[in-house]
Amino acid sequence: MVLLIQDEYPEKLWRDDGKRLDGREPYDLRPIKMEVDVIKNADGSAYIEWGNNKIFASVYGPREVHPHHLAKPDRGILRVFYRMATFSVFDRKRPAPGRREKEISMVIGDCLEPVLFLELYPGTSFEIFIEVVDADGGTRCASTTVAALALADAGVPMRSLVTSCAVGKIDGKLVTDLSGVEDKAGEADLPVSITWFNDELSLLQFDGQISQPELEECLDMAKDALDKVYNLQLDALKRKYIKIQEEAEEMGGATD
Amino acid sequence: MMDIKRVISTIEKSYIENNLKKEKRIDGRGLWEYRDFNIKTDIIAAAEGSSDMSLGDTRILTGIKYDIGEPYPDMPDEGVCTIMAELLPLASPLFERGPPDQQSIELARVVDRGIRHANCIQTKRLCIKENEAVYIVFVDMYVINHGGNMIDCGGIGSLAALISAHIPEGKWTEDGPEWTGEYLTGKDIISDLPLPITFGKIGDSVFLDPNLPEQLVSEGRLTISVTEGNITSIQKSGVTTFTPEEIKMLSKKAFDIAKDLRSSLDLWQYTTKIE
Repeated sequence: MVLLIQDEYPEKLWRDDGKRLDGREPYDLRPIKMEVDVIKNADGSAYIEWGNNKIFASVYGPREVHPHHLAKPDRGILRVFYRMATFSVFDRKRPAPGRREKEISMVIGDCLEPVLFLELYPGTSFEIFIEVVDADGGTRCASTTVAALALADAGVPMRSLVTSCAVGKIDGKLVTDLSGVEDKAGEADLPVSITWFNDELSLLQFDGQISQPELEECLDMAKDALDKVYNLQLDALKRKYIKIQEEAEEMGGATD
Repeated sequence: MMDIKRVISTIEKSYIENNLKKEKRIDGRGLWEYRDFNIKTDIIAAAEGSSDMSLGDTRILTGIKYDIGEPYPDMPDEGVCTIMAELLPLASPLFERGPPDQQSIELARVVDRGIRHANCIQTKRLCIKENEAVYIVFVDMYVINHGGNMIDCGGIGSLAALISAHIPEGKWTEDGPEWTGEYLTGKDIISDLPLPITFGKIGDSVFLDPNLPEQLVSEGRLTISVTEGNITSIQKSGVTTFTPEEIKMLSKKAFDIAKDLRSSLDLWQYTTKIE
């Protein structure tokens, strides 16, 4: 047991001034920071801070498949391992992977796979390792977003990036990007992701209760949020090359 | 991307060896020099203390969590501290998925033994009620990038995380433990700081803080954990052998190196201030 220092479920999820508990308007995202190429040993890597969420992702591949019987003779395989650190949540998480982590790993894998050209890599695997070191609601969306960045950083051919964000409903109002408290105490949570090459949704889960018109409104809200997150992803990728260019200029190398 | 493989080329191996004979290292350091380090603390909102320590290319995140449980019968008024390490497969192609392997258990054990045998964790302060309730403090290390010498990086990172701790203070009531409204900080639960000092050996050359290529070439390491006055644990690992003279020399060196390191680390600066 741990000592109870605050109530897990606040009575109200909206402040008197009409804003959310963390001061956001209904359609605001939490602050998001992304960076690529943060783990030297990996073929590609990325880090994201999305509100209080802090997540690392690294990509290895194409490489030999272990265990060998998983290899496919006509195409490569994508394997995703989503894990949470023991200290990333309020009650210490057990170190061994649980059912939730395995399900999320699968969901993230399924939503990233459509953008890859796995048919070009028979007999090999791409492995994505995702480590959530601090969690505060919406880790599967942040993980998907950062994993797509790590794939791009690894130079893996992709049809497009993948971006993910959640929308939902708290105390009767629809909102974008639920925080940990809002996710636990709210009424509905709808994480979605988009594959930009065809503008279609590749991840869609829903928990809670909403009406059909509300679902339609949620999907429109999600599109706006995904556009914003996508631009941040592009910025993070570009920053790496701007940095390389600046270093090359300092060394007096050719710039064009 | 760093060039990292299971097998290191003969050319690179002899290059490292020949340079060491001339007391030179491939990254330009002297034999008894640490790589640059960088520490950030209290970076994980969900943890009761945390650190992000890098030593050269090695980077380890450490988090503190706690639980309240019954004490061991032979130590009825003492809390417990357990240390765990995970070599994340995202950190290196050398690490594999699955339950903790020998390497990660060695990392956790060597860090644990250095801390356990020093007057470091104030276990009596971690008691809420004798025979009833004590704190179990978890120190969990996650390797984010493997660049050699994880033991020193993890050991110092663990101390920094413990110093940054802010654990809700419990008092005993009829209904069991309750929060007093105060926090136990690093200053309450930590006293001496045992620093692990790791030496590598290649051929007949010994040197401080092996980086990854050196670690892959070397056949063994010697870790000596020292407080200001005492040696608290020693671990020889790998298949190499050390002469008794080398051990004597290195144990003396460990104190000199730890003294400088202690002042440049200035670990107590990471104490969390509670408003």
